[in-house]
Amino acid sequence: MRSLRFRLTAAVLGVLIVVLATFSLVVHGVLGRALLRQLDHRLADNAAAVAGMAEDEAGGPEFEYMSLPEFERAIRPGYYQAWVDGATVLARSPSLAGRDLGRLVAEASAPAFADVTLPDGRVGRALQIRQPLRIEDPPSVQGRVSKRLVTVVVAQGTEDVRETLAVMSRWLWGLALLAFVVASAAAFGIVSRALAPTRALANEIERHDEGQLGRPLPTADLPDEIDPVVRKLNELLARLGESFARERRFTADVSHELRTPLAALRTTLEVAASKDRDAPAYRAAIIEASALVGQMQALVLNLLMLARLDARQVEVQTTEVRLRPFVDEVWRAFEERAASRQLTFANEIGEAATAVTDAEKLRIVVANLLSNAADYTAERGAIVVRGGSGEVLLEVMDSGPPIPEDVLPRIFDRFSRGDASRSGGLHCGVGLALVRGLCDVLGLSASAENAADGMVRFRIARA
Amino acid sequence: MRVLLVEDFEPLARSIAQGLREAGYAVDAAADGEEALALGETNSYDAILLDLMIPKVDGAAVLSRLRRAGSTAAIVILTARDQVSDRVAGLDLGADDYMTKPFAFDELLARLRSVIRRRYGASNNLVEVGDLEVDTAGRIVRRAGLKIALSAREYALLEYLAMRRGQVVTRSEIHQHVYDFAAEPASNVVDVYVGYLRKKIDDGHAVQLLRTHRGLGYSLGEIE
Repeated sequence: MRSLRFRLTAAVLGVLIVVLATFSLVVHGVLGRALLRQLDHRLADNAAAVAGMAEDEAGGPEFEYMSLPEFERAIRPGYYQAWVDGATVLARSPSLAGRDLGRLVAEASAPAFADVTLPDGRVGRALQIRQPLRIEDPPSVQGRVSKRLVTVVVAQGTEDVRETLAVMSRWLWGLALLAFVVASAAAFGIVSRALAPTRALANEIERHDEGQLGRPLPTADLPDEIDPVVRKLNELLARLGESFARERRFTADVSHELRTPLAALRTTLEVAASKDRDAPAYRAAIIEASALVGQMQALVLNLLMLARLDARQVEVQTTEVRLRPFVDEVWRAFEERAASRQLTFANEIGEAATAVTDAEKLRIVVANLLSNAADYTAERGAIVVRGGSGEVLLEVMDSGPPIPEDVLPRIFDRFSRGDASRSGGLHCGVGLALVRGLCDVLGLSASAENAADGMVRFRIARA
Repeated sequence: MRVLLVEDFEPLARSIAQGLREAGYAVDAAADGEEALALGETNSYDAILLDLMIPKVDGAAVLSRLRRAGSTAAIVILTARDQVSDRVAGLDLGADDYMTKPFAFDELLARLRSVIRRRYGASNNLVEVGDLEVDTAGRIVRRAGLKIALSAREYALLEYLAMRRGQVVTRSEIHQHVYDFAAEPASNVVDVYVGYLRKKIDDGHAVQLLRTHRGLGYSLGEIE
């Protein structure tokens, strides 16, 4: 079982078992010893009483028996035997009925306890003491100590102790078991309740479909242990939501960018075909349509490249590129457009300037920058390309109008057009996003600024 | 019928304008919101084709400002936004119809006819004035069951008069609403075309449908 609830409950119960068992064993041991000590006290009292019955009389040792019910009863009787001078049996308890109670091995003056087997086969405990015989009255000689010694062995069954211990044991284990059962239920319940927030969290996460990614999970009433997890999760959700939103926006923008030229293409063709026309009218329609197809193709290629950049499927193959002829060659595609808007073009890159980079990627970068310049520069303006020295690979500058200041910081973002409406063709917020994406791959940096001299400057530099 | 086309993507604007003109509409084109407002507030249009994502003033703002200024033109939104929420927002702002790019040009024409028809209170494409029938969908005109061939300008004039049948229509209204007359240099161009039209639809019929109201203008059919 890998459930946290199970593990926690099991751990708590494991500890509980150990604690209860230890407690029971300790209580059992301590109580057992106490009971045994009590028994020993009783043995000592009895032994003293028996020894006191032996007197040193003038006519020799005498045993003045006084009735002790413990040693007379038929059921579980106690036993004693007394010897004089370590050899002669002075007295036996009635319960012995003539049998011998063996002396203990230790023959010392100190009282000695031992576990023994009683004459009737019961398990018992015995005490042996040895002391001088008491000297009977007269009072004048009271306190005088006899020179003769009496040895007394008193033995009693330990059933009472064992029975008390057994009863107590049963109670202890019973209570322990009860405690275990109650504690199990309580632990399970408490752990379940303590873990309830995780279940609530799981339900909450389950309710999160991708449409609600940005919505954070509630952090109120969360235990301290889960709170940081949820916070991190919320951060992740926020990032995911953002990226999903960006993706959705991108798709919507792509759809918009493709729909508009597609609508133009379709309308152009349908209107052209709506009635019989002369050849020049058809030709005009075809030229219009192919221009639209060209724009869409450029857009689709840019989008594809952007998608490949996203998927990190772009390989870089570096060669040495001579920048000046390279820029001239790329510019050729925009010459006509620039001429129709009376723009001048100057390539001021030094003859010797070279760069080691991926020519095809750089071509897309430069083409996008030049295309932008050709379309955005006000009529009768100028476009200048410089660079090839130091950190600057190349700069494309045009005579403006300047890029609005609020657009400038996000001009390289996808679909962040200078004007929200600008549609069709290359200037749909894909071109510059692609420029930056490719520059990243090529180890270059792209930046844009409105220069002090009134020029708009796009700079490609070595990062 | 006079239409204002608001579309900033030039190739699309060009082809729609051409198609509309060939279908007999007088077309003014605006490439941004400011131009659209200037034209929409000064001229009386039968319909406005409005792109939403246009520079300067966006289409939704143009729409609501025109409606607030009291424009009754039928407005058809033409946009690349295809989300239901966009459609709902556009229609709620006071648009009469909504078309998503790309569209079939014939459908655009059909929807344009439909919104203009509704604007003039007609429920189908066949307008009847006495025994004169004008089929605005097929641009076919019949008098007493006989088909009459009309030039594009004659038809445009008749269609406008038919839409406003039973009312006196002034020369300047005709100038405003009918095909390119405003661009004609001759000041009597309306009178000339009314003359052509009268000849084609009324000659040889006992009831004269197209009447001149001296000093006021013209009417088609009985004055209501």
